[in-house]
Amino acid sequence: MSEHATTVTWTLNGKQVESPPGLTIMEAAKLHDLEIPNFCYHPGLSIAGNCRICFVESNRSPKPVISCSERIAEGLEIQTHSEMALEARNSVMEFQLINHPLDCPVCDKAGECVLQDHSYTHGPDRSRFEENKTIRHTKKLGSTISIWGNRCIVCTRCVRFCDEITGTGELCVVERGDRSVVDVFPGLPIENSLAGNVIDICPVGALIGEDFKFEARIWDMKKTSSVCAGCSRGCNIEVQSLDGFAKRIVARENPEVNEWWICDRGRYDYRYLLAADRVTDASAGGEPIDSDTADSSLNDLVSENGGIVGILVDPMMTCEELHLVNRLSSTLSDCQVAAWSTADGEAESFPNGFTISSDLHPNRAGVGAIIGKDAFSTVAKGLRRSLDAGDIDLLIVFAGFPHPDLEKKWIESIGKAKVRIVFSLQSGSWCEGADLLLPSTAPLEKEGSYLNQDGRLQRVRTLIAAGQQPFPSELVRLQALLTHLGERPRSVSSSGVFRELASSVEAFSDQSHSTLGESGCVLSSGKSAVGSMGGDA
Amino acid sequence: MAEITFSKKSLERYEWLLTRYPSKEAVLLPALHLAEEEFENIGVKEMKYVADLIGIPPARVYGVLTFYTHFRRAGCGKYHIQVCSTLSCALRGSHEVYQRISERLGIEAGETTPCGRFTLSKVECLGSCDTAPMLQMNDDYHEGLDLELVDQLIEQWRAELPEGGSS
Amino acid sequence: MAFKKVLTRHVGKKDCHTLKFYKKQGGYAQAEDAVKNQDPDALIDLVKASNLRGRGGAGFPTGVKWAFVPKHTDKAKYLVVNADESEPGTFKDRVLMEKNPHLLLDGIIICSKAVGIHHAYIYIRGEFVFAYRRLLEAVEEAYSDGLLGKGIFGSNFDLDVTLHRGAGAYICGEETGMLTSLEGKRGEPKLKPPFPAVEGVFGCPTVVNNVETLANLPYILEIGADAYKKIGPEKCPGPKLFCVSGHVENPGTFELPMGVNLLELINKHAGGVWKGRSLKAVIPGGSSAHVLHADECDVAMDIESLDEAGSMLGSAGIIVMDDSTCMVDALLNIMRFYHHESCGQCTPCREGTGWLEKLVHRIASGGGRHEDLQLIQDVCDRMVGKTICALADAAAFPAESIVKKFPEDFLHAIEQGGSPASRNRSRAAVGGGTDV
Repeated sequence: MSEHATTVTWTLNGKQVESPPGLTIMEAAKLHDLEIPNFCYHPGLSIAGNCRICFVESNRSPKPVISCSERIAEGLEIQTHSEMALEARNSVMEFQLINHPLDCPVCDKAGECVLQDHSYTHGPDRSRFEENKTIRHTKKLGSTISIWGNRCIVCTRCVRFCDEITGTGELCVVERGDRSVVDVFPGLPIENSLAGNVIDICPVGALIGEDFKFEARIWDMKKTSSVCAGCSRGCNIEVQSLDGFAKRIVARENPEVNEWWICDRGRYDYRYLLAADRVTDASAGGEPIDSDTADSSLNDLVSENGGIVGILVDPMMTCEELHLVNRLSSTLSDCQVAAWSTADGEAESFPNGFTISSDLHPNRAGVGAIIGKDAFSTVAKGLRRSLDAGDIDLLIVFAGFPHPDLEKKWIESIGKAKVRIVFSLQSGSWCEGADLLLPSTAPLEKEGSYLNQDGRLQRVRTLIAAGQQPFPSELVRLQALLTHLGERPRSVSSSGVFRELASSVEAFSDQSHSTLGESGCVLSSGKSAVGSMGGDA
Repeated sequence: MAEITFSKKSLERYEWLLTRYPSKEAVLLPALHLAEEEFENIGVKEMKYVADLIGIPPARVYGVLTFYTHFRRAGCGKYHIQVCSTLSCALRGSHEVYQRISERLGIEAGETTPCGRFTLSKVECLGSCDTAPMLQMNDDYHEGLDLELVDQLIEQWRAELPEGGSS
Repeated sequence: MAFKKVLTRHVGKKDCHTLKFYKKQGGYAQAEDAVKNQDPDALIDLVKASNLRGRGGAGFPTGVKWAFVPKHTDKAKYLVVNADESEPGTFKDRVLMEKNPHLLLDGIIICSKAVGIHHAYIYIRGEFVFAYRRLLEAVEEAYSDGLLGKGIFGSNFDLDVTLHRGAGAYICGEETGMLTSLEGKRGEPKLKPPFPAVEGVFGCPTVVNNVETLANLPYILEIGADAYKKIGPEKCPGPKLFCVSGHVENPGTFELPMGVNLLELINKHAGGVWKGRSLKAVIPGGSSAHVLHADECDVAMDIESLDEAGSMLGSAGIIVMDDSTCMVDALLNIMRFYHHESCGQCTPCREGTGWLEKLVHRIASGGGRHEDLQLIQDVCDRMVGKTICALADAAAFPAESIVKKFPEDFLHAIEQGGSPASRNRSRAAVGGGTDV
């Protein structure tokens, strides 16, 4: 083999294969669509090699070797299903289960538990262990995480996460032998901003999120791939819901954005969906109205207005919604579209490079690319001036903020529009006195796409099943309005709206929802749209 | 929680230790030995002190301390009697030695006398199998034991540590 | 040629641990010669040629181990002296450290010169407080005498020695567990590769040698490889410390040529089985070794011979058991040890050691069944060769061999309601003190 060889030729289960050099057997096998069982291995963490479930047979060793740490080499012959490999893995499974409580029926991990999965493929059908099991602690490790010690297989994924990814080091393994278990230092709970990831990466039911404990069975839940709306980073998430209610949000792998991790705000901040101050019904002048009345009221208020119109969008809106706003704006003779946002949060970055943005809006870049890069700055300033001067006849406000920390001056200005239509997620001072108040969908209820801070366009998907929406979404209402105004024949899906967007805005021209796939695409001019954006007015 | 700190002498020793290792983490075990000399037992605040001194997460110290069985953890009596119970000692009567001490002190392995003077443990091989049975009391080995010697030792220790006379 | 003690020649003499005494016997002459006059490669070749095998338990050829260390590297190289003597039945290094500490330092200097090491750590088990103090004195003496520190023996060779105390963990006697522990972590053995010679402590090339191994070096330099090879079997030569404990009249450490006959060792040197009883079983190489039945004990104590006999020389910790010993209780005692000492890192060891102890405990307490004996064998089979280090093997070897060689004791316990100790409730015999 030459020194600069770009591939290694080796044999996997009798078949000669080629792989890039330097890979472990497990990594290389995965490239050939063969998943070798693992517990302690995690692609984002250092190799521990302690669980031993990834045993395979090698022509270079009289004993089985662990595929997570052993590397491929020229001429290496690996058997993953030989008698030796199976016996070795079956042994490990038998040992894993002797002190395990086997409490799957009451364990929140059941259904996504790696131990459970491997025990079906590699485990014995009954236990030969008849002795007393070792008992280890069940306790809270932090406000959001508890450990069920008897289930812990001491794979140390969680400990390595806190050492290597967050650098916070709150977790450790205490004691040794079969007494060892994960713990925190007395009085110093695990409370870092990425802590919840340890629950995701726990291969068994040892680390349990307090938030999800006894909430739902994994297999009953609907799983929706989406993007976090907590900040402008756009971490990939999976929303797990039951009967249309979000039960849990977990990280979804995207090597280009968030790798395997999400922050705790993104993970746990969905309770606002059911908050008491959520706007759920339409109202006119403070009086509740039904949905149909609301629709016709919206149509009438807009079509009957011949004066100056202002539209204030928020960067929680999808690209598709923003596109419809643009369309609306262009049908109106005198209309300006500006954008507003809430105050910044706190940025945080971690030793491995993971960062949480201070910009708490998922689609600020989308607003820049679709509405215009000055939407937050000069246009917003202009709109406010017009409002303050009493020049705005009709103002349409979008306030889909889960945590509206809005500038008081803006609220005052809003109040000066002659007629005001508000789409709002929560009730607040900006809703007071509105001529028409309409409920706004939350990010987790939207279908569409967001453009993140790095110019990556990603799909967001609603957790609500088709036909189950409690009220028409902005996407539906805006299209109905456009139809009413004679602008388009009918409503289409968010993908259809995106096609219109792609044909009208250069930056989106090569894209469609299907090209975005599961991990999104970087828009060629997306970055520049982000980079040149001004600050808020 | 009361503030604790190393004496000047221990701090000097600690500073010297830092010069002997290429990483500060490596000073942990020697620092815990120093802490044991300085504070006798190592509990939560002692672990926290050592962690802060070195500049490592306290959980690291906790994990390390509990891995090693030789450190005197919080609650250990003034005299820690560790009876070797592994094979060579067992073959030569370590259990009788243990039982005698247990009877005399009125405690079982893992317990401390109410007065806080004595803690009794059964431990694994102390590397003195030729002088079995044997025990370790704090730093000292007591070897070639028989029941008479055990009685003498207990009398001696009791005399050294009068009940209520020490803190 | 009559055997002459090398390692313990002066043990017992007044002040034998002091530098003054050691130098008076010609000590440090070889280290000085090595540092001032010898070529490192020649030293490695000499040690290779001497066939010196590691005395810690694995018996790896010392010179070969040294040669694995990269010659040219930007990294520091370290020597870590394994003085964490913890294998049950072993107490030889303690004698050297307490009574002849300068011999160890002498050997450390030679090894460091050969491999190009400028910092050696002596990892001494935490319980050995007296030996630690003796070594500390010796190191201080050596520093003040210019034998350690900058430019030792007036040469331009620098060598620091740092004593590092363990804290009660058998696993830290395992080569890489020791290195992890030295780095200030839980003493969990490291994955190999990389091997310590390439990437050991602090990520640097590291030689790990046992105390007794290093103590052999001055003598090898003194008499040469050929003469050294003539002491005992050529493939595994040299003076050797044998530790005899258990049921003998005169337990102790005996320095004899490698390859001495086990029965001779027990009967002649250790005074024979005590109380006029007869021999039942012997563990020849620390409790990790396969047990020998009394009729297997006519064997030479060297690596190859014990290997052939189905056991191992290991640390040469010989534990003798007389015919009153219940092997169920003996095994229970050993299993308790490994259960207590498993670091818990690898699944088969973490779970297997506890399972074995609980199984044997049930048999000893009268709850055993015939099929348990096969189960013990199965559990052992499932542990061996499946872990990062050899602790799982070390637990399985005595278990499988004791059950296999003394089935009658197990059948008796199963059929008669437990081991004699547990039946009498005298709790006086071997495993009687077991806490489970």
